[in-house]
Amino acid sequence: MTSLTASRRSGRTLRHRLGAVPRVVAWIVLSVIVLGPLYWITISAFKGREEIIRSTPTFWPETFTLSNFEQLFMSTEYPVFLTNSIIVAVTTTVVTVFVSLAAAYGLYRLKVPGSGKIAGIVLLSYMIPGTLLIVPLYRTLAGLELIDTHAGIVLVNVAFTAPFCTWLLRGFIFAVPREIDEAAAIDGAGPTRTMLQIVLPLLLPGIATVAVYSFVFSWTEFVFASQFIVSDALQTLPIGLSAIIGQYTVNWGLVMAGTLFTLLPTVVLFLFVGRYFVGGLITGATK
Amino acid sequence: MALVIAFPLINAVITSFQDQRTIGSPAEFVGFDTYAKVLGDSAFWEALGRSGIWLVVNMIVQTILAFATALLLQRSTRWSRAARTWIVLPWVIPTVAVAVVWQWMLNSNYGIVTQLFRGIGIDLGSPFGDSAVALIAVILVNSWHWFPLSAVVIYGALATVPGEVLEAAKMDGAGAWRTFWAVTFPLLQPVLFALALVGSLWSFNVLDTIYLITGGGPVGSTTTMPVYVYDTAFSAFRSSQAAAASVLTVIVLGIAALLFVRFARPKEDS
Repeated sequence: MTSLTASRRSGRTLRHRLGAVPRVVAWIVLSVIVLGPLYWITISAFKGREEIIRSTPTFWPETFTLSNFEQLFMSTEYPVFLTNSIIVAVTTTVVTVFVSLAAAYGLYRLKVPGSGKIAGIVLLSYMIPGTLLIVPLYRTLAGLELIDTHAGIVLVNVAFTAPFCTWLLRGFIFAVPREIDEAAAIDGAGPTRTMLQIVLPLLLPGIATVAVYSFVFSWTEFVFASQFIVSDALQTLPIGLSAIIGQYTVNWGLVMAGTLFTLLPTVVLFLFVGRYFVGGLITGATK
Repeated sequence: MALVIAFPLINAVITSFQDQRTIGSPAEFVGFDTYAKVLGDSAFWEALGRSGIWLVVNMIVQTILAFATALLLQRSTRWSRAARTWIVLPWVIPTVAVAVVWQWMLNSNYGIVTQLFRGIGIDLGSPFGDSAVALIAVILVNSWHWFPLSAVVIYGALATVPGEVLEAAKMDGAGAWRTFWAVTFPLLQPVLFALALVGSLWSFNVLDTIYLITGGGPVGSTTTMPVYVYDTAFSAFRSSQAAAASVLTVIVLGIAALLFVRFARPKEDS
């Protein structure tokens, strides 16, 4: 009797262990697929010119060199592109947060007449294919004399981030109980004060989500910037980087150094607020 | 928003009825002539077909990857918890960086992936330069870029499935596979429906990934509809034709979306 239970138990643990094999394999595959390319960019950026094109690849740089970064910042236009990208991304983020917060608060919290319909249109506008709008957008911006300006590109970025962000904030706003408003009103707080001092702090994770989304969007945006910005001195990083690649195709170390710096801000930002962001996206999508 | 989205849309329709070449140049009203020209252009139909392939294969690859990932993330092990943060990294990497790193890793001489495959006796050649496989290669890169987003959304939806329901299914003797199809999947349907709709539209409109990796080539083998429109407007300088193609595409997408909503929307009462 005892031996039977024992053998059954050992059978179960064996099966349990074997059952874990596919999962472990899946984890390894997933990690390599997702993190492998990131690792490869990073170490390639630190490799010397000869080592990077060796026929047997080294998985760890034999000699760490900063020469790629030196060349990137000293002899290419990279610093200019970096500055432009920071200007565009930060401005877009600030404007998007204001616009989408105001819109979401108005639509979902205050009882504005027809807010249901407006909310539907907001989402609908997001469904319109952005890339197919390049041509008419170009004419619109030309009419406003905003071609080749950072203001123009910010305007376009905000137009594409704000609808989605407004919708994302919906879930967060619904999560704040209405009774709080009433309690605040009883305590003598006006609508503005209620919004700024009571509801807003509760929406901080939502605001973080929206800020990250719009920063990442404008930092990585390629298509509009490539057409609406003409002069090299105003170009953002994605276009600048692809130009550098064109010039230095042979020098992969330099290209990797540039790539590393291009993705670093979004990755670092994400490691700080990523948890809020993932949570925010889930709240937004499932409610 | 009205200024930047609604106005250009109306503008596109007007332009499509004209014969404009370079953007902003004077043009005359020509009615449906431009449409006739676009519909008669075999490149338009090829691009539309390629976009169809692009959309379907992308959705299949991404759904499988995203579902598998979401199921892994759902476990409460330390790995799963840590992965919930880093899994999204491919999505936050700028497209230009995605394009560069894959071109580098698949470089026919020095690429790490090429060399690893050569090590086990498979010659990858240069996938982005071969018109037979370029489209598939770019689809895989695009899927790498986008699947984490779907994975996270599906993971979030999985978390909303009540534990008691799964427990009850287990008590009734349902295996993991059956539980998934009979319990979890139906509960996930509304989220999956929204994801499929929004995801398809996003995916259809991808331009930068394709443009940065292959530029639509080799010999047009990766020219999907957005690439076609972009090239027609900014390389061939036929903005009216580009606008007409845009309008036609929006109509096709609209009909497809309506059909999808009509037939795939989860029933409210069941």
